[in-house]
Parts: sequence; C-alpha cells; structure tokens
Amino acid sequence: MINGAEAMVQCLKAEGVTRIFGIPGVAIAPFYEALYNEPSITHVLVRQEQAAGHAASGYARITRRPAVCVTSSGPGATNLITALATAYADSIPLIAITGQVDSHLLGHDVFQEADMRGATESFVKYSYLVKNVNDIPRIFKEAFHIASTGRTGPVLIDIPCDVQRNELKGEFVYPEEAKIRGYKPSVIGNGQQMSKVIAAINKAKRPLICAGGGVILSNGEDVVRSFCEKNGIPLVSTMMGIGTIAKAHPLYFGMLGNNGKPYANKAVANADLLMVVGARIADRAVPKPEKLERRLTVIHIDIDSAEIGKMLGPTIPLVGDIRHIFTELMNADIHIDTSEWIRELEEIKVSTVDHRVFSDRLVNPMTLVQTLSEKMDDDGIYVADVGQNQLWSADNYVMKNGRFLTTGGMGTMGYSIPAALGAKMAEPDKQVVAVCGDGAFQMSMFELATIAVNKVPLKILVLRNEFLGLVREHQEKVYDCHYSGVQLYAYPHYDKLTQAYDMDYFHSDSNETLGEELDRFLACTNAAIMVCDVDSANNTK
Amino acid sequence: MKGIFSVLVENKDGVLSQIAGLFARRGFNIDSLAVGETDKHDVSSITIVSTADARTIDQIEKHLNKKMDVIKVRRLDEVKSVSLEMMLIKVSYTAQNRSSLIELCSVMGAKIMNVSAKSIMIEIHNTPDVVAEFLDLLRSFGILEVQRTGTISMAKS
Repeated sequence: MINGAEAMVQCLKAEGVTRIFGIPGVAIAPFYEALYNEPSITHVLVRQEQAAGHAASGYARITRRPAVCVTSSGPGATNLITALATAYADSIPLIAITGQVDSHLLGHDVFQEADMRGATESFVKYSYLVKNVNDIPRIFKEAFHIASTGRTGPVLIDIPCDVQRNELKGEFVYPEEAKIRGYKPSVIGNGQQMSKVIAAINKAKRPLICAGGGVILSNGEDVVRSFCEKNGIPLVSTMMGIGTIAKAHPLYFGMLGNNGKPYANKAVANADLLMVVGARIADRAVPKPEKLERRLTVIHIDIDSAEIGKMLGPTIPLVGDIRHIFTELMNADIHIDTSEWIRELEEIKVSTVDHRVFSDRLVNPMTLVQTLSEKMDDDGIYVADVGQNQLWSADNYVMKNGRFLTTGGMGTMGYSIPAALGAKMAEPDKQVVAVCGDGAFQMSMFELATIAVNKVPLKILVLRNEFLGLVREHQEKVYDCHYSGVQLYAYPHYDKLTQAYDMDYFHSDSNETLGEELDRFLACTNAAIMVCDVDSANNTK
Repeated sequence: MKGIFSVLVENKDGVLSQIAGLFARRGFNIDSLAVGETDKHDVSSITIVSTADARTIDQIEKHLNKKMDVIKVRRLDEVKSVSLEMMLIKVSYTAQNRSSLIELCSVMGAKIMNVSAKSIMIEIHNTPDVVAEFLDLLRSFGILEVQRTGTISMAKS
C-alpha cells in the first residue's frame, strides 16, 4: 500500500523526472516526506516560488521535456502564478504541483487556502484539483501528456493535503497512455493544405520565412534550416525564434519587429510570400498585420489553430507540428530560383543604415553583447532578461550553435537568473550566462543563495545604468523626460554581494577593459557576477 | 454575424466556468447560453449564441476546440438547424385588457400557467425571434418578471 504522496513521487519517477524545483510547506508536506525517501529525484530549494517556476522553465527549455515545480498552498502557490503566466505566454511545458488545504476545508477560506484552479485559469493549459487519491496516476499521466504535446505549456496539479496522505486502493499502476477524448492535437499537416503550400512556394519569386519560438519548441531548428538551404529561402526570426539559424548564416536576415533589424523589416516589406512558422504575429513583431495580408501571400504554419487568423488572415493556413511538416516539405517537389532575391536582400542589408548611436562613455551595450556572445562557447546558453538588456541582447547576440533563452511573451523581469540556473542544472557542462539589467537583477537577487548552496558555476552579467532603463527611455520620449519612479541608484554593492555569496566579482566600465575582463569572467570556474557600467543615456531605438 | 455553437463537454465541475471565462477573457460576446446533461451522464451539452464578425466567430470555435474538457464543437447554421427557447413571463392585467391578453397568448401558441388576482404567468417555447417578439407584444400590459432559458439548437441532419 502506498499513499497519495508516494504515488506522486512514483509518477514523477515513471516520467523520468530526476530534478524538481520548489519550496515546501505544510500543505505539501506529505509529498516532501515521500521525496525524502526517494534518492532518484533531487529537489532544488529555491528562495521564492516564482523562481521555482522560472528555473523549471529554463530546465524544460534545455531538456526539451516538461519540468516540475512544487509549492505549498496559499501564498506559496500564488507566488508561482507569475512564472506560470510567463511559461504559458512562451509555451514552455511545466508541471506545477501545489499543495492545498484538506478537501473538507475547501471553499471555507481557511488558513493558506487559495483557489489555484480559479486563479490560474487563464495562465495554464489545463489544471486539476485532485479529489480522489486513486486519480493521481491518471492525472499525472494526463498532465505530462498535455504539457508536452500540441502547443506545449504549463499544467497545474493542485492536491489537497489529505489526498496526499490517503492510501491508494490496490497496487500503484502508472497508465501506459493518456486518454483525453477532447484533446487530439494535429501533428500531421492536412494533405490538401500541404499541396497548396508547395504550389505557393513554387510560384513565389521572393519567398521569406519568419521563424518564431514554435520552431524551437518543436525541435525543428535543423529541419527548417535544411529546408531554407535546400531551396534557397531566406529567413528572418522573431525574438523567440532566435536560435533557429546562426547569425552568420548567409540566409539569415535578422530579427524583425520594432525592436529588430530594419533590414529584416525591409525583407518582409519586399517579399511576395511570407511563411510565418510557429509565430504569433504579436504586436511587437508585426505592428500592422492587416497591411501585410493585403499585399502578399501569407502561409501560416502553427500547431495551435487558434493562432492562425487571430492577428492576420493568412492566405494558406496549415495546422501541425513544425518539425513534422518541414520534414515532409524537405521531400516536396520545390524548384525555385531565389538567387536574384537573395542578392537584393544582401544589398538591403548592407545599405540599411542603423541610426542608433551609442554613448562612448562607459561600456557600449551593443559592443558588450556582441563581444560576450562571440567569446562564449559555440554551444553556450545565453539567457536574456527583460528591459533594455533584452532588446540589446536580441539585436546583437551572435548566435552560433547555442541557445538564446528569454521571455518574449510576458516579458517578466527577473527571469534570467532562475532560468539560467535551471538551464545550467540541465546542462552542467555547458557555459550558461544570464544577462540582466540592474533592475531585473534585484528582482531575483535572492536566488544567489540557491546558486551558492548548489555550487552552480553560473555566470551573471549585469548591465548597470542605475535606472529601470526601458521605462526611463519611454518617459524620455513620451513624457518629456519626466523620470518618474525609475531611478535605482548605485545599490547594491556588487563586490560585497558576491563576497556574501562566495561568488567571484568582475567589473568593467570602459570598452577598453571589456574584452579582457570578459575573458576572465568566462574563464572563471566559480559562480561569478560581472558588472558592466552602461551610460543611462543609451536607448534601444 | 450570428454564431450558434453546440458544444459537448465533460460533465464535471469547473467546465462551465472555463467556457464562460474564455468568453470574458477574450472579449467574446454571449447572446445566450443554455446548459444541460445529455443522454450520457458524463457529457453535457452547451448551446452558445454569439454575435460577432466572421473572424471572431472563427476564433470562438477554435478556442472552444482548444479547451481540454470540450469534446466536440459544432457550428450550427441558422437555416439548417432547429433553435428553440423557452420563456416564463409574468404580466399584470386589468379587467379591460384580460381578454386581449388571453387572445394574444392563444395566437402566439403560449400557455397560461398560473392566474392570480392581478397577474398572469405565461409560458412560451418557440424560435428565439418569436419569443422575443412575444416579449415585445407583452410590454404594453406591464411585465412583472421574465425568465428565459437561452437558446438550444440542433442540426436538422
């Protein structure tokens, strides 16, 4: 006989889970007791629940499997909501396990009771409130299935404490498969639509692929790349699609959008066929989608049919898994000559002037991102936070064969440190650098303890301009330089902070010392923070 | 345009709130909503009528389909389906207008369910437009209370 909590642990084992992130509390205590007796699962104690969700997100993005975060009931669980919303917006597969008050007390507003199903309704792909201990194996099987298939995303399992304590009837059996009659995500593209797509490509003179985060979520980078190379089709990407193709690749024409490369937007403006692949056509990437649909043929390929037609009416919609569809497209009869178009794009790339001017005072953020990403290992993982640092990162990151992680959907400040921690734990041998501003840093600063305790040699690079820079920039342009509530001042003293957490400290305040200091920072075998002073006058646009 | 959705869902707690939440969150309009169990105790049927532009109606269907507890979504054509609604309505009457009220009920196929000294309770079930029309006709008598079920619809074949 085993109890519910032991069954939960058995379910995680059956799913091959070896590491989870969380903070215990009384309402989830039976689960932690079961965990105590299970050597195959390592629990990483974070310092605030939101970080458990972000760390799991970083871990999931690198392992490309659902990752698990655990909290207690009430405030522990509500602290997790921002991380769930972040994961939901970026379609990251998470399993969030939250303890809950005893079943008979549900709905009585007792101590640390929060209606987590209700509270997370719009931030999770699906949620469960487990009422019967015997449902645990089925629910876990379903949850992992839902999180990892179709458009991936977070799934919440809220488990009352008494259900964790109750004993299962009979033997524990983990189901072979999940049977959900209302859930059958399309993987294979519809044959007729596929033919239309192939015909449209064959007809195109100036085809262009816009790769979104969906390409990476479907593990489709290599096959999309091969497709571009085979047919000579150029590619631009959204922020979440960075990583599909190396920056130096001759067919890559940058990130589009109002924070992207002007030549990428010109490429879209000059194309006659746009293949939107795993992208949401969100406002930052395509500010006026209705203009696009009037002018050119749009093929929209996405696993989520609701994304298609949400922002723009595509000429040819195709629902399915990107990896699967592009594998098929590799075998399709496509014969086009795009050499003239590519030449034109190269000219556009060279002739488009970037009007942005960066201050020569202190460290130039553009140079910083370029130098850092060039110096990083080819397969290194670059985790960008949110704010000016994110836009500078996305714009200047030199993608080689690594990963670029950031939260493009929700834009949650404080993401990079816990996400980088999760990424590093997933791939301990890879170089992982979290890049954040001094605002975002202080939103996750408490996780330095988790880094220290677990001896994770993580690198954190802080761009310090003593402001909430992106809001400052907005206030400068829109509110006549009325800097309201954005000044951070020079705190904390990073040298003392690194000392407090047994980390190494590096610092650069000029472009001259930057390269050398970055070398020392990256070569350091200990966890380290490098602070780069940046002129607050630098803007992103 | 008008979208009539016949939605089969898992008959379990929280499903109606998920559907209602979806409409509220995405700013989809609900004209009418009717929920009931089907012949299978674990399946409920929800009929939702919504007025919106064609793209939004399309989005509603897709988002309904995305819900894990939605088993099947059918979009019904107004012409190729039968739509019915039921209404209970209480109106006041006087000695002078009583007979014309009874006559109106009889013409419209409505039933008188209860009569008190000052009011009459009437039941009508018909297509949503006839029910709306009947409601309008009763306004001059003085409406005291109205209960409508929301539209239920079924495809003809």
